[in-house]
Amino acid sequence: MGKTKYDGTPRHVLCQRIPTPPFGRFEDRHVVRYDEYVRTGGYEALRKALSMKPDAVTEEVKKSMLRGRGGAGFPTGLKWTFLPKVEAGTDPGPRYLAVNADESEPGTFKDRLLMDYDPHLMLEGIAICCYACRLSRAYIFIRGEYHHQAMVVEEAIREAYANGIFGEKGLVNSAANTGGERFVVDCHLHRGAGAYICGEETGLLEALEGKRGWPRIKPPFPAVKGLFGRPTIINNVETLAHLPLILGEGAAAFMAQGVESTVGGPPSYGTKLMGVSGHVNRPGCYEFELGIPLRTLVEEHCGGMRNGKKFKAAIPGGVSMGILDTDQYEAELDFDIGRKHNVLGLGTACPTVFDEDTDMVAVARNIARFFKHESCGQCTPCREGSGWLYQLLCRIEEGHAKTRDLDLALEIATSMGTMPGTTICGLADGNNWAVRTIMNKFRDEFERRVERTAVPVKMTIGAGAKG
Amino acid sequence: MAWITKDSAGARVERRDEPYLTAEMRRDLDERILPRYERRAGALLPALHMVQEAYGWIPHQAMMEIARHLGMTPAEVLDTASFYEEYWLKPKGRHVVAVCRSIACEFCGQQAITDAVREALGIDVGETTDDGEFTLIELECLGSCGTAPAALIDHTLHENLRPADVPRLLREAKQAHGH
Ligand SMILES: Cc1cc2nc3c(=O)[nH]c(=O)nc-3n(C[C@H](O)[C@H](O)[C@H](O)COP(=O)(O)O)c2cc1C
Ligand code: SF4
Ligand code: FES
Repeated sequence: MGKTKYDGTPRHVLCQRIPTPPFGRFEDRHVVRYDEYVRTGGYEALRKALSMKPDAVTEEVKKSMLRGRGGAGFPTGLKWTFLPKVEAGTDPGPRYLAVNADESEPGTFKDRLLMDYDPHLMLEGIAICCYACRLSRAYIFIRGEYHHQAMVVEEAIREAYANGIFGEKGLVNSAANTGGERFVVDCHLHRGAGAYICGEETGLLEALEGKRGWPRIKPPFPAVKGLFGRPTIINNVETLAHLPLILGEGAAAFMAQGVESTVGGPPSYGTKLMGVSGHVNRPGCYEFELGIPLRTLVEEHCGGMRNGKKFKAAIPGGVSMGILDTDQYEAELDFDIGRKHNVLGLGTACPTVFDEDTDMVAVARNIARFFKHESCGQCTPCREGSGWLYQLLCRIEEGHAKTRDLDLALEIATSMGTMPGTTICGLADGNNWAVRTIMNKFRDEFERRVERTAVPVKMTIGAGAKG
Repeated sequence: MAWITKDSAGARVERRDEPYLTAEMRRDLDERILPRYERRAGALLPALHMVQEAYGWIPHQAMMEIARHLGMTPAEVLDTASFYEEYWLKPKGRHVVAVCRSIACEFCGQQAITDAVREALGIDVGETTDDGEFTLIELECLGSCGTAPAALIDHTLHENLRPADVPRLLREAKQAHGH
């Protein structure tokens, strides 16, 4: 049993080589190349993993209870076990890893940190995952706008090939050197082209296949029938970057960080990259243990609110998650947050913080515009609903709406995504949670913006009154 | 992004004799890109990126050439190309200024940045200057929220922008190589 409350001590795992407050300064960050990575203990965990049986590696990851860092928090080890089993010594044919580096959820800028400065941490995680799951090839799907990051990662992949991490020839890959199973993995970068929906795991697979990024209906699940119809694992960059620690130091080291659930849910172990943006004095990407209260993060580490203003609201991690109210400043950033604070979930744990002067109607309108723009158009409730919602919120913001429009907006929001099976992916649900929680938690602000729907009452007063 | 209606019946494809997909590009596709994918269509996004890089946009003829090279139909290539915002199916300015309009940027002063660009260039969002130098667009989150407001000028990200920075950045972009 670990702790149930954040203990106030900062610990860095993912940022070991990336200067990050309170242990380092943002200004001192630099790209860690292969030589520096290896000099500082890099690829040791991979060597260790390669000396184990693949199933034992998966077991260790399962034991750690690592949960996905891409937004949904799905247990990583469990996901891996959905792959069809492979008999030792047999060739299962091509099996893929799709690394989700699409990072397009507004407010989120954390995977970027690893790709900007420590790309080999991600690559080592990729290699470990491919070994454990017997995957033959990894594609890093990076969003098109990350031009600089694509260059850094390309260079790191080249270094990894040259040093025998990936590819046919090398020091790490021969079973004779390691004692484990044969390890031959390819790794390629695949650039997206400006579509948020390709972050959804099956939209991503479609983009890899050269199609429009339309999410697929599940089942079949990607672990069984994914990229090019083959078994495929999809994991987020940060999720994979945790693997070197878990394999290198053991699951227990990972589980010593983070917190237990206090609502009877699964635990939130490990540290998390937290990109803080909005009205704080020192925005930026930090690393803290899961469970850190938002107030502690902002007040103790981000220099507090900007211009001495008061905290008003925050999005916990990407606009899809909904909003934390003024009195939810204490909310702990862990996987319990959804159940405790009426938001969809922790999401990417990159909070966007708003001060007391923020117009919440404008916040809702901004988010609704995003979803309208990014809906892929396959499902009617999402395609049409997102457009109507945006129009209604514009009308409310401009002061042309009536009270009943508030109910209409809420009804539209609620009707998209909450009914299982009416939409293919989670985008509609994110739209619903964002708009609905903002409108409900800041209802008075919306009411002040609308014209009261007057109910005409017939009255005749004074001299003209008859009978 | 979602729903672009294609003028299938009335579309005319502008043709030129010289192929857009040069011999060098074909070789690069064949040797470096295609071996990465189990099916040739997997190379479609990289091929579209390649053409866009070289010409600044993706003409219909180029899509037909890509289709033939990858063993796809031109309609399949158009279907994919028209879905992604980063692919320009019409010519754009030599330089693209893309201001982020998402949550962190809007509430940290994005409007003033867009306005400064509009004023400096004399165009509105979605327009191209008469001399064909600049196109101004707004995009969703660029993953630079901690240093908002942010904008991409061509491939370079500019962070912590102030309106006063805009004229200088535009000047620098113009001097740099564009499309
Ligand atoms: C609309 C939508 C957008 C998403 N965007 C991303 C993204 O940009 N990056 C990401 O890692 N996961 C994203 N996800 C979550 C992925 O579908 C998937 O759950 C995740 O990549 C799995 O990796 P993990 O288990 O390691 O977190 C998105 C999901 C939805 C529904
Ligand atoms: S819910 Fe929206 S984004 Fe997701 S598949 Fe349906 S239309 Fe596309
Ligand atoms: S909101 Fe502008 S970069 Fe993220």
